[in-house]
Amino acid sequence: MFLQLWEVSILVSGRRIGENMAAEDWFDVRGAIAWVTEQTMDKTIGMTRFWEQKYWLSEFSAEFAMAGIIFVITMLAVLGPVWMERKLIARLMDHRGSTIAIRSLWTGEGNIRVEWWKDLPFGIGVPIGLVNGFLWNNFGNDSSNPKVAQVGNRSYAGWWWALPGMINNFADFTKFAIKEHMPPRDADQVTYEVAPFIIVTTTLLVFAFIPYGPSLYAANPDLSLVYMMAIFGIAPLGVFFAGWSSNNKYTLIGGMRSAAQLTAYEIPLLITVLSIAVLCGTLNIIEIAEFQMSGSQGSVWNIFLMPLGAALFLITMIAEVERTPFDMPEAEAELVEGWWTEYGGMRWGLLFASEYLRSLAACLLFSLFFLGGWEFPFEDALIAAPFVGGIFAFIFQIIPHSLWLLIKAWIVFAFFIWVRASLHRVRTDQILEFGWRYLLPLSVIQLGLSIWLRLGVYDGGPWPVVIPTLITVVAILLFVVLVLDEDKDALAEQRRPYHVSEINKASPGARINRED
Amino acid sequence: MAYHPRATPNFRNLVVRPMWITLRAGLRTIPYIGPRFFSSGYHGKIAEMFDDETKSRTGGKESSQIYAADRETSHFVKSISRPVTVMYPYERLEDLEPWLFVPNNYNGRIGVVWETCTACKACVRACPNDCLHMESEVRVNVLDMPDASEENVGLSSVEFVEGGYLARKNDDFEEIENSFSLETAHESAPQQYDFAEIIDLSGNTASVRWSDSGKTESVDLEGMIPAEQDIVSGRIDLGRCMFCGLCMESCPFNSFFMTNEYDGMSGLTRDDLWMDASRTRVLPVVHKEAVDRELAKRADKERSKRERAAKKASKEA
Repeated sequence: MFLQLWEVSILVSGRRIGENMAAEDWFDVRGAIAWVTEQTMDKTIGMTRFWEQKYWLSEFSAEFAMAGIIFVITMLAVLGPVWMERKLIARLMDHRGSTIAIRSLWTGEGNIRVEWWKDLPFGIGVPIGLVNGFLWNNFGNDSSNPKVAQVGNRSYAGWWWALPGMINNFADFTKFAIKEHMPPRDADQVTYEVAPFIIVTTTLLVFAFIPYGPSLYAANPDLSLVYMMAIFGIAPLGVFFAGWSSNNKYTLIGGMRSAAQLTAYEIPLLITVLSIAVLCGTLNIIEIAEFQMSGSQGSVWNIFLMPLGAALFLITMIAEVERTPFDMPEAEAELVEGWWTEYGGMRWGLLFASEYLRSLAACLLFSLFFLGGWEFPFEDALIAAPFVGGIFAFIFQIIPHSLWLLIKAWIVFAFFIWVRASLHRVRTDQILEFGWRYLLPLSVIQLGLSIWLRLGVYDGGPWPVVIPTLITVVAILLFVVLVLDEDKDALAEQRRPYHVSEINKASPGARINRED
Repeated sequence: MAYHPRATPNFRNLVVRPMWITLRAGLRTIPYIGPRFFSSGYHGKIAEMFDDETKSRTGGKESSQIYAADRETSHFVKSISRPVTVMYPYERLEDLEPWLFVPNNYNGRIGVVWETCTACKACVRACPNDCLHMESEVRVNVLDMPDASEENVGLSSVEFVEGGYLARKNDDFEEIENSFSLETAHESAPQQYDFAEIIDLSGNTASVRWSDSGKTESVDLEGMIPAEQDIVSGRIDLGRCMFCGLCMESCPFNSFFMTNEYDGMSGLTRDDLWMDASRTRVLPVVHKEAVDRELAKRADKERSKRERAAKKASKEA
């Protein structure tokens, strides 16, 4: 198995094209790790009289290494959403966002150049001055507009407009790590300390069951979907612990809101996930992803088969990870920072990280459940295309499929950011009403549709082209109808400068004398 | 309940439009493509900061400025520009980006249709900050106003009496009614009537003293409108107002409004914040609906009263 890594020749020959391409990958990390640990144990413990122990030892160390690799990949992958949150939301909200850029090391406040190196003795400051001068002149915040140059062009982007903001994560970490731990005096100390660990550990455990690729996962039990959703649902308990134990009115209200909201949205989420499992006929996440891939059983992305389910999953997941418009539990305008008001330093940093990790998990799950997992869009069609098909086959073989999954997840997160920049926070009662009265019935309807699709339509082979096309067209038409919904009467009155609408008087009986 | 078309709480206005607006703002920051296809029409335009008078006073000093010059972003890619500064009051955000309207139910400057006010002082009692004050003023009764619908004219109980008041339509009454719009003219509403005190009443003529000029004159009552002294007008201490809108809610005659105007409320002294009747006046022109509704209500009341009286009289006869 490990040999596949080195046998590059297999990339251009010897692999059947189109036959479950995405499910297999030369990037066989699990196989490589297993091979390495097996060889190591053979050469070490296998030589001794404890050789019988080598089997479980090699297995254990392979799993351990795999968990570490997944942890590192997750931690690197979550830098993407954090960076996107900074840069993308700034652009969507018509500003560039404050960031710690690398150039902040040499551009001073207010375009004032403090030449401290001139005070150094023996001329050792000269090279520092030269370097600073080069950076200042070429990558500074000067402007050709003299009025702008007075204060310095703070929005300078230059060639590396993409880079500013990346370094912010490390600056944040440094700040969190240095800060003192200050629990409130009247807090319930044990619960207060335990709550962030419940949240962070369960969040990290979710990633044990999320595959990054066909052979890039930490654990893959048969019921990985059930495990994953169960662990995903523990964090709200930690949130409630945190809100309660901080002994602060803001955290308490935040915790209560969180409990109400997450309970209301957990149920439609689980029913939607159940409908996915029904449609794909499995409770294993990898099998769900492979069901949608070309050359496998279904070979159609689930989003074309259950657009309603995709919308439900997206909405409930945004609510579950407490992002705008469902961020009532941490409504900054009214609750300071919601249930995590009293946490500071590294604990706050970990909670912050776990929020983004949960968002990343939501995006990865959406990609796995609805966007065909690690398959490139129309992969088999591209490979089967005349003339250029061979090039595509080569590209898909040489680039690990995990990359497509990550890109999909980041695109979904970009959608999250877009939603956050656009929509306003929803009132608590409206959130709950939306959850219980709209999402719950809709998810039940989706479950019924999935059962009908699986039992009544699906015949074991690839889906007939008509089914996903029809469902997608109907979904788009419904969306268009919703979009075109407009108050025509109000349009006629739109030039009226003031509101003259009837006011419902607050006093009792005020409606009795109301006319029209 | 009629909403502003952009404020109607439907899927389009709550989800689709906001997402399209933010997407546009985001795409606008893309070099070359953004300014060309997603521009709002005022990018890179030169804004004139001074009016002609100010310009002549400052001796032709440079008065124009490119929008948001401090947001120039790149030495290399000049087209990455992002204007954000709207030069209010010379420019208004609603004019530049019409989708960013002021909501109808925004509690802004106080506006009163003094013509339909009956001085019941419900608003004064409702005000938690004691910022409303009432005083008397001479005014035309709404049911005698020439713009009231025909069947309602003459249903007010105000008559020409000695020592009473009369009003005459201003020459530019029609013009004011048709062209004055607080939307565009951010100034106090002009007077639609000239008022006079009736000194002597004889037949169809009366000698009156005009309130504006103080001149005494003999006028024909034809074309004159009876006015009342006991109707009061109010002053509002805007410095104390918290824009809660309780006054508006308490008004039983739909005469009191929180307009959605956000300007014309500032001053250099505390005294400037005392809004007198002229600064709060909302012409019935811009409030046709509410005024018409109120007029119809009062006319109905008066009509039924007269019918009852006539019936009673006929029964007695």
